[in-house]
Amino acid sequence: MPPGGDTYPNLKIVGFGDVDYSDTKRPEGPQGFSEGQFVLHMISALSPRVSFFSELSFTARPDAGTGTPPAPGYNAEVERMILRFEKSDQLKVSFGRYHTPINYWNTAFHHGQWLQTTIERPEMIEFGGKFLPVHFVGALVEGAIPASGWNLNYQAGLGNGRGSVISRGGDAGDINGSRASLVNVFAKPDWAYGLEFGGSYYDDLITIPTSVSNIGEHIVSAHVVWTREDPEFIAEYAGVRHEVGAATPTWSHAYYLQGAYRLPQFNRLWKPYYRFEHIDIAAGDIAFATVPMLDGSTVGVRYDATQLAALKFEYRTWTRGPGTARNHGGFFQVCFTF
Amino acid sequence: MQCTHRLVVVALALLLGLGAPLVRAMPVAAQSSDIAVVVHPDVAVDNLALTELRRMLLGDREFWPSGVRVTLLLRAPIAAERDVAVRTVCEMTEAQFRQHWIAKVFRAETPTSPKIVYSTEMALDQVSRVPGALTFVQASAVGKGVKVLKIDGKLPGQAGYPLK
Repeated sequence: MPPGGDTYPNLKIVGFGDVDYSDTKRPEGPQGFSEGQFVLHMISALSPRVSFFSELSFTARPDAGTGTPPAPGYNAEVERMILRFEKSDQLKVSFGRYHTPINYWNTAFHHGQWLQTTIERPEMIEFGGKFLPVHFVGALVEGAIPASGWNLNYQAGLGNGRGSVISRGGDAGDINGSRASLVNVFAKPDWAYGLEFGGSYYDDLITIPTSVSNIGEHIVSAHVVWTREDPEFIAEYAGVRHEVGAATPTWSHAYYLQGAYRLPQFNRLWKPYYRFEHIDIAAGDIAFATVPMLDGSTVGVRYDATQLAALKFEYRTWTRGPGTARNHGGFFQVCFTF
Repeated sequence: MQCTHRLVVVALALLLGLGAPLVRAMPVAAQSSDIAVVVHPDVAVDNLALTELRRMLLGDREFWPSGVRVTLLLRAPIAAERDVAVRTVCEMTEAQFRQHWIAKVFRAETPTSPKIVYSTEMALDQVSRVPGALTFVQASAVGKGVKVLKIDGKLPGQAGYPLK
């Protein structure tokens, strides 16, 4: 290290990758072995108070080589690109493309499969999913206040909201005249080290081809997390209200509960886990007309082969709403960071 | 007698052109095996609660009250100083601490993770030169030119000091 500390810029690159295997009774998604995402994370401090972060992903395409011209083998995506100015712990301002901070999982694990206990994200916040806006393009103000040991954190954002394909953010601009806004507040109290809880509110006007009118979207969410691994516990809820003209508003709901425990035996390398998740789409919710319902359980175990690589084995069983056939399958993942 | 001795040391240091502050080092029991929390002499803080120190070590608190960024200097794994920082302060295993910092940087919550120092001498040298730096060293090794913080109101060697 130089005498004055860091030199600028100081680019660092971190990567994540995973290889997956799945075998289900009725196919939903890839079967057999599949490449997961290859993710590169670039970080560069530009000065003591200005930093740049980016996350790039490369995802194998199932239609590779088809069409004219032939589809490429991989989708390259700028998942996050953030320039942040830090005044103090209490005030940080940033601009760019984020994972929308209205869901704990979305901002705790991003595309780092190795970071999360399970193989897959909860479906309410899966990549490419529609229930919650995964990406947010705009500006964020954030900070943390000690608050007598409560350690309150806040984030307030203004951005483009969802694109016309509502699983995507408005990367190239806002598609309507109404910006999305969000507020997220959470606490990490000293008196219960490991506990985090909070809630958020998101407001947007979305425009989709299947609706003549714009749709007002209001999302409320909450989370409670115990981050220690003995045990680990994550619970999240989100409610999405859609309003179209004078029609009766709809409320769609989703939640999941996940528990895990790092076994003290065997050098603390094994961590069994269980997750229950539920998605309920309201009848008449035209924005979520293609979002499937879900009642599913996941049971599995994670084995940390080294400090930087892990294997995960899972069994899942689920239905897609009342009266639908039950599906189930086995899953495996090897994931790592480098 | 002791006061005269200190004056001689200060005078000699000044004569030798040693610009680093000498008088900010707080009294530490010379033979103490406690782990001292040592900061750059310009850090205008004398005491940290153990919970505040934990927030710094986990990157949840990144700035000193003066606005200078906290630069964490940690010994490599296996060193006793790091063990106290990770196990006693953060209540984590080395694997958990490492994963925490990979995730912290990946979440874009901070641009820098703790910097590794490979010896007590290197730790003390760097902490005396980098504004806002904080490190952990054996209390008996603390020399001049740095500042030792009280933790929960106690200095190394005092009864009830938490970092042992």
